[in-house]
Amino acid sequence: MSRRAAPKAAPKANSTAAEGGGAPREGSAPSVSLLGTTALLFEAPGELALASQQRIWSLARETQAWPEVREAVPGMNNLMLTFERPPRSAEALYALEARLQAAWDAALPLPLEGRVVELPVVYGGEGGPHMADVVAHTGLSVDEIVELHSTPVYPVYALGSHPGYCYLGGMDPRIATPRRKVPVLSIPGGAVSIGGAQTGVSASAGPSGWNTIGSTTMSFFDPAQDPPAKLQPGDMIRFRVQGVIR
Amino acid sequence: MIEVLSSAALATVQDQGRKGSLRWGVGTAGAMDNLALAAGNLLLGNDANAAAVEVPVFPFKLRFDADCAFALTGADCAARLDEAPLLPWWVHQAHAGQTLTLGLPQGGAQRGSRAMLCLAGGVDVPEVLGSRSTQLRGAFGGHEGRALRRGDVLRAVGEGQSCRTGFGLVPPGLSLPLQVDGVPAVRVLPAAEYPGFEEASRAAFWAGEWKITAQSDRYGYRLDGEALRPIAPMEMRSHGIVPGVIQVPHSGQPIIQMRDAQPSGGYPKFGTVIEADLWRLGQAPIGSRIRFIECSWDEAVAAQDEVEAWLDRVRRMVDLHRSSPRPGGR
Amino acid sequence: MKSPAQVQELAAWLAATDIGLLELRTPDGLLRLGRSGAPGSEIVQLGTQEEGAPPAPPECVAVAPSVGVFLHAHPLHAAPLARPGERVSAGQPVGVVKIGPLLLPVPAPEAGVPIAFLVPDGQPVGWGTPLIELQAEE
Repeated sequence: MSRRAAPKAAPKANSTAAEGGGAPREGSAPSVSLLGTTALLFEAPGELALASQQRIWSLARETQAWPEVREAVPGMNNLMLTFERPPRSAEALYALEARLQAAWDAALPLPLEGRVVELPVVYGGEGGPHMADVVAHTGLSVDEIVELHSTPVYPVYALGSHPGYCYLGGMDPRIATPRRKVPVLSIPGGAVSIGGAQTGVSASAGPSGWNTIGSTTMSFFDPAQDPPAKLQPGDMIRFRVQGVIR
Repeated sequence: MIEVLSSAALATVQDQGRKGSLRWGVGTAGAMDNLALAAGNLLLGNDANAAAVEVPVFPFKLRFDADCAFALTGADCAARLDEAPLLPWWVHQAHAGQTLTLGLPQGGAQRGSRAMLCLAGGVDVPEVLGSRSTQLRGAFGGHEGRALRRGDVLRAVGEGQSCRTGFGLVPPGLSLPLQVDGVPAVRVLPAAEYPGFEEASRAAFWAGEWKITAQSDRYGYRLDGEALRPIAPMEMRSHGIVPGVIQVPHSGQPIIQMRDAQPSGGYPKFGTVIEADLWRLGQAPIGSRIRFIECSWDEAVAAQDEVEAWLDRVRRMVDLHRSSPRPGGR
Repeated sequence: MKSPAQVQELAAWLAATDIGLLELRTPDGLLRLGRSGAPGSEIVQLGTQEEGAPPAPPECVAVAPSVGVFLHAHPLHAAPLARPGERVSAGQPVGVVKIGPLLLPVPAPEAGVPIAFLVPDGQPVGWGTPLIELQAEE
C-alpha cells in the first residue's frame, strides 16, 4: 500500500472510502478513515435506522474505555474516536482499525430508552424562513409538511454541531430537502430545520446550512449542570403544532 | 487587574482547548496558535495550558492596574509598554499604571496574524467543562463567553508576584520552517471522500497556491483557488469533525475548519491539516497564500514529535535560566 | 622598586643583547629599561609613561551574559538593536545571545554611545566576552 494513501481497514469487497473510486459507503462494509492524527471516523453501512444507531451507541460505550481513545462521539450511523495520543506507527493504526471493525461486528444494539420531550412549534412565518424551499423541493403543501414533520416521535441519535444540539432520526423521507447551497449566517436558538434526510432544533444562535421551517422555545444546554446537555441519545422528541403561519 | 482599553478587537480568552465534551456538541475552541500559547506560558513559568488573551485585530490596548509579568508571543506586533518598544517572543515586567499597546503585525516572511498575551499564572477566569477557553456559540467559558470589550477587567492569577523577566525565545516560525517554493505550507492527511474527487482536482489541490480570503476567522478559513469537483455529488450524514478538516461545499472552494468550528458536519471532506501544523495556519494572515503537502501517517506522527521536542527544549532552557542566579545589579 | 644595584645588573645584561626594551611589572610598579637611541646604544631607565602609548581603554563594555551565539539583531528583525553613534540607556539591550531556543539580552552597562562592535553577528561567544564598546555619558 502506498505510504501516502489514507490508512484503511482490512480489505473487504466494496471496501472502505480510502480505496479508489466513487461515493463512499456503497455496499455493505463499514468504512474507517482518518481525521488527521486527531481522530478516526467509523461509518456504518446501510440505512439510517434506529437499530443500526443502537449498535453505534454500543460501540461508543465499548470504545470509550480503550486507552487510545479520548472520546467516542456518535454521529448519524457513524462514530468518531478522538485520540488520547495517536498510535505511534501505521501498523499500530491498522491494528486499532481492525479492533474497531471486530468490535462493530460483535456490537449488539444498545436499547437506550429515555424520556419523551414535547416541543411546541410555530411552523412557517418569520421563524420558518425556508418553508417555501421545502415546499418547492418536495412538491407538498405547508399543511402536509407540518403533518409529516409533527407526527413521528424522533429518537435522539446523537448530539453534535453546537452545545446541546440533538441529531434526530426517524424523519419522513418525503420531506427531505438538501442542505442549502449558501448557508445562512445566523439562525436563532429554537430554529426547527431540515437538512437532507434529517431534522433538528438549534440550541443557540449560529450559522446553518439547513432549511428552517419553524421555531420552538426550550433550553437545551446548561454548562453548570452535569451532564450539561438536557437531552441525550435514547431520549425522544415530539413536535407539537402550536401554530402554522402560511 | 488588567483593563481592556480597546473596543471591537475580537480578543478572547483561550487555553489549549476544551477536550472531552464533543459528545454534547461542544467543540474544543482554544488558541489558534497553540505553540505560541504554550511558549508564552513557559516563559512565565506557567502551566503550558494556562489561559491567555488571543488578539486577532490590531491595534489593541490595555492598562495594568497591578504589577504583573507578561509574555507576548505569536505575531510580532511592535508592542510598547508605555513608550518603550518591547522585543517580541519575550517576557516582560509591567508595573501598575503602565499601558500595553499592540500595534500592527510586522511585515516580512514571518508576519503573523494573532498575538498571544500570556499573564503570570494565567488569566483568572473559571473553568467550564474542564477548560478556560471561550465557547462563543452558547456563550460560556473564557470571559463571560464572549470577546473582550473596552472596560472589561481581567485578573492574572500571578499578579503582584515576582517573576524572572527580560529574556525570550527564537520563534518556532524560524526554528521549524515549512515551505514549498517559498510559500508557507502545511501537511495534510487525505480524508474519507478524497477518492471521490476528480483526479485533476486532487492534483490541483497539492500543486496550487490557496489564498486565505477575508471570510476567514476562528470558525473556518475559506480558501480561494481552483474549484474542487467531486466525481459524483456526495450527500453525507452528519458526522464528527475536528479542527483542520478541509470541507468542500457545493461551490468547490474548500473551507478549513478551525478551532471554533462545529464539532460535526455533513460536507465532503478532502483531507485534514495535521494537528502538528495547525499553529502555522493560526498565524497565516488574511490574504496570504498557503500550499498543502500530502503526508503519510508516520510523517504526521513525526511532525507532532518535532513540535513536542521543540517545546521540551524550550521548557528545559527556560527553566534553567529562570532558576539561575541573577547577574549582579540586575 | 628594584634596588639600584639590581637595575645596574639588569641593564648590563640587557646591553649584551639585541633587546631594545624590557618592561618589568612588579608589585611595586613598572620598571622600564631601553636604549637611549639606536640599537647598540646605551641602556637607560625609561619613564613609565611611554610615548605614543595607546589611549586608555573605554570605561564601558557590554559583555556576553552567557555562552552562546551573539546576534546584533533580534532574529525577527532586520535592524540591529544598537548602532555606532546612537545613544542607548543603561540596561537597554544592545544585542542578544542565543543559546538553543533561548535569547538573552546583552544590556548596556551604562547609558552611552556604542563606538565599536568587537564581535561579528552570528559568532559564538563565551560568558563575559566583550561584545560592544561604549563611550559612557558623564
